[in-house]
Amino acid sequence: MTHETPTLVASKRERLGTRYAQRLRKSGQLPAVIYGHGADPISVSVDEKQTLAHLHHGQHVFNIEIEGEGTETCLVKDLQFGFLGDNVIHLDLTRVNLDEKVKILVHLDLHGELKAASEPGAIVMNDHSEIEVECAVRDIPESIRVDLGDYESSINVGELNLPKGMVAITPADTNIIHVQIAAPEEPEESADDAAGGDTGDSGDADGASKSEG
Amino acid sequence: MPMLPKRTKFRKQQRGSLRGNATRGNYVAFGDFGLQTLEAHWLTARQIEAGRIAAQHFLRRQGKIYIRVFPDKPVSKKPLETRMGKGKAETDYWAARIKPGTILFEVSGVTEHMAKQAFARIAHKMPVRCRFVGRRLAV
Repeated sequence: MTHETPTLVASKRERLGTRYAQRLRKSGQLPAVIYGHGADPISVSVDEKQTLAHLHHGQHVFNIEIEGEGTETCLVKDLQFGFLGDNVIHLDLTRVNLDEKVKILVHLDLHGELKAASEPGAIVMNDHSEIEVECAVRDIPESIRVDLGDYESSINVGELNLPKGMVAITPADTNIIHVQIAAPEEPEESADDAAGGDTGDSGDADGASKSEG
Repeated sequence: MPMLPKRTKFRKQQRGSLRGNATRGNYVAFGDFGLQTLEAHWLTARQIEAGRIAAQHFLRRQGKIYIRVFPDKPVSKKPLETRMGKGKAETDYWAARIKPGTILFEVSGVTEHMAKQAFARIAHKMPVRCRFVGRRLAV
């Protein structure tokens, strides 16, 4: 890590279970569990607002200061989301050494524009917003900066300039971003035509679940 | 043309029930932004198609629209002025069963402002309350 590891104050959870976890969430705490390195798992709770702020900034490693237990360096291993799939309801933390090599997802910070993006009919498609990398815990960056101006029409994982000591786990031929040139515009179809049509169970069908815009 | 399956194992289905929340297809997976439903409903193929056209007309040829739901449930309806009985009617339309949390549409390659405007147009065509969502945190 090129920056200082943030410290979170955690309190041990004596009572476990859904209801107690819900009460914690209502009081602004986030239930979490710390495990790994052969030691017993500890159920803790951390400040939700502070933790989420760090996570949104791409932070992966925290110093967890457990009341009465000392401080542990932990890596965020997993997040659990609520039923609508966006609010974090639980945090999995694993004990790590700063020199340990780990596999993590790192966000790509895209800057500028691809050279081919200025062509008429060009659509810039972001295929991946993060990639999986392997690196030492102390070298985990918040994000990887990619200057798009250096590239022509697409970028693969293999073309990225990764920081020293970092190896990409995502296959090298995986597209991160590419420019798609749209076909010449067709005459507009009316909404009436689109709303009509055969809905019977025979005949041709459009089985594709994705539609190109 | 509205979507429908290429072939089905059985021609007709029982109605079934829609309980609980979506546990699959409930996060933005392909695009940058998504439209998430907050209610359970049967979404007809026509409604999905209307939403797609509304967004595509607004976005023109910018960006890419992903449809995350597929109408795979045949819904039958008896013709008008028909006496009851004589067996189950023929398929009237195809529907997708959606539960709270399901992502209906996704879009990529456009700004957040444009995506919001496109989804607002789609939401007007939908029979359910929807909300705009982005990609969730990844670790």
